[in-house]
Amino acid sequence: MSKHKGISDLAKREERLAYWLLLPTFIILLVIAFYPLGSVFYNSLTNKVFASDQPVEFVGLENYSRLLSMTIRRLPPVLDASGNPEVNPETGEPVYARSLDVLPREPRRYREAMQFSFLGNRYVVGATDRDFVRGIFDTLRFTVFSVVLETVLGLGIAMVVNTKFTGRGAMRAVMLVPWAIPTAVSSRMWQWMFQSTRVGFFNVVFQGLGLIESPIPFLTEQTWQVPAMIAIDVWKTTPFMALLLLAGLQLIPGDIYEAADVDGASKLRQFFTITLPLLRPTLAVALVFRTLDALRVFDLFQIVLAQSRYSMASFTYYQLTNNRAMGYSSASSVIIFILIFVFAVVYIQLLGGVDAE
Amino acid sequence: MNKQTQQILKRVLFWVVIVFIFVYMLFPFYWAINSSLKTEAQLQMTPATFVPRDPATLSFSPTLRNYGAVFRNDKFISGLLNSAIVSGITTVVALSVGAFAAFALGKLRFRGRTPSLYLILAMTMFPQVAVLTGLYAVINALGISAIPGMILSYMLFTLPFTAWVLTSFFRELPMEIMQSAQVDGATPFQTFYMILLPLTMPALVTTGLLAFIAAWNEYLFALTFTSITPQYRTVPVAIALFTGEIARQEPFGEIMAAAVLVTIPLILLVLIFQQKIVAGLTAGAVKG
Repeated sequence: MSKHKGISDLAKREERLAYWLLLPTFIILLVIAFYPLGSVFYNSLTNKVFASDQPVEFVGLENYSRLLSMTIRRLPPVLDASGNPEVNPETGEPVYARSLDVLPREPRRYREAMQFSFLGNRYVVGATDRDFVRGIFDTLRFTVFSVVLETVLGLGIAMVVNTKFTGRGAMRAVMLVPWAIPTAVSSRMWQWMFQSTRVGFFNVVFQGLGLIESPIPFLTEQTWQVPAMIAIDVWKTTPFMALLLLAGLQLIPGDIYEAADVDGASKLRQFFTITLPLLRPTLAVALVFRTLDALRVFDLFQIVLAQSRYSMASFTYYQLTNNRAMGYSSASSVIIFILIFVFAVVYIQLLGGVDAE
Repeated sequence: MNKQTQQILKRVLFWVVIVFIFVYMLFPFYWAINSSLKTEAQLQMTPATFVPRDPATLSFSPTLRNYGAVFRNDKFISGLLNSAIVSGITTVVALSVGAFAAFALGKLRFRGRTPSLYLILAMTMFPQVAVLTGLYAVINALGISAIPGMILSYMLFTLPFTAWVLTSFFRELPMEIMQSAQVDGATPFQTFYMILLPLTMPALVTTGLLAFIAAWNEYLFALTFTSITPQYRTVPVAIALFTGEIARQEPFGEIMAAAVLVTIPLILLVLIFQQKIVAGLTAGAVKG
């Protein structure tokens, strides 16, 4: 081993340098994150009420089970006098029993979170906290759609502004405008454009094009709420993706493409064999941060939809501010944390990126 | 189709795409400008007009009243200054501290690399409201005022971001560049700031811009930490708390005017820095 002493000395020096370089980051994070995050974990196991003298009791996993308890029950069809399934004369759909009648009430009361049909049967999903369960599903839907759209659009835009053309500098500034407007303000802007009457831009345009008969209340009608949120977020955050991917494209050496041109590889082929693989680490890190932000989306939902529909984070916010339920909201925060952690690990395992050796 | 028409077709298609991106990115902003030039009555007109028009005669009649009101609002002006200070310092600190960490995480071999990466990322996985009360207690315990308090708390989302993004970019650089520098007798630190940093300039500028904007736009922390010291409010908080000089209800026109004004400095910033987002350095460096 003594033969390698020189090398291992070098390795030790490298290791020491690495620790010194990481020290400032960990000091800062220790100061600002250790106590707040620790208290979130701790509070999530208690019934703590915010700004109150009420004694704090340790309740174990009670908060978690209240947030996450779910059950699925089959809804039996309603039979008419002759024993045949009853049919709604207006819609032609069969009539099912009320979810209230099939969902358990003891020891806790389950409320309907959603319904779905599967193999000809009708089912109801009941939850002890249906707002949170709906919040989880809505946030996941929001995250999947907006992140996919942002990645595709962002990559397209990044490749366009990566080519040389007159006005490229101005174009790069233009593409960042949506990201530069504070969310607190841009959400209001879009809220105004989505107005339910013809004061709103979209209703004016859609009606002008003859696409709709009467104005659509985008922000109050259940089916339109989440798509509207996705539309706003895609517009707002595509620039983030585009700029990050642009920097990634810049680091791909141009001579690789020259060589590919000489070999006669088509542009499409070059995209799949050169651009995408070399962009993968940047793509991975961009996806991690985008997904993380989308899963904890807050301002957008809180400003535009307030309490008519929740994201996981806005649910947490209203639990804390309206009900002052600090223990309960801490538990929902921890659930968000775990979900994000799972997403991050899956991404990094699938895409390699920073973690790969 | 001969080669020449194919070329022309390609150019046309390219510019169609450019125009499409231009309109998509800017139209909502245009709508904000349009709304900011309208009076309360004009805002309520149906159907909404694409330029401010007089409700009776439908002639073009913009108003600058909203802008006047924003400029007379000294909370907005001081908010701009506070935002510039907070975001500027946040960016510089997050970028330099993050770059050190990224150098270690991206280019050096040491035990505990992967756990360090995950630990740093985990700091930013909680919703902001969750850590708000705890963070407030920490800021109070440290006894620092609102501005350094905001800068410190913004590290919670900017530092993991800069550290991770820079790590991924540093890793991209071929190891040979560093090794040849070491052979030439450069210390690791010299390699870092004389070779690594210049070569990843596009990444540094991009990361810095994104971190700056994230800090500039932050709302919830700023609202909380300046609640007892309103003179330190940042601009998103100032806008959100507009009570309206003209309108009795919500001053929507003024909010839109402020939105336009607050975006202009950022556009200038991007225009200045985007020139740095070009390759060139790396292209030659990787050869050989």
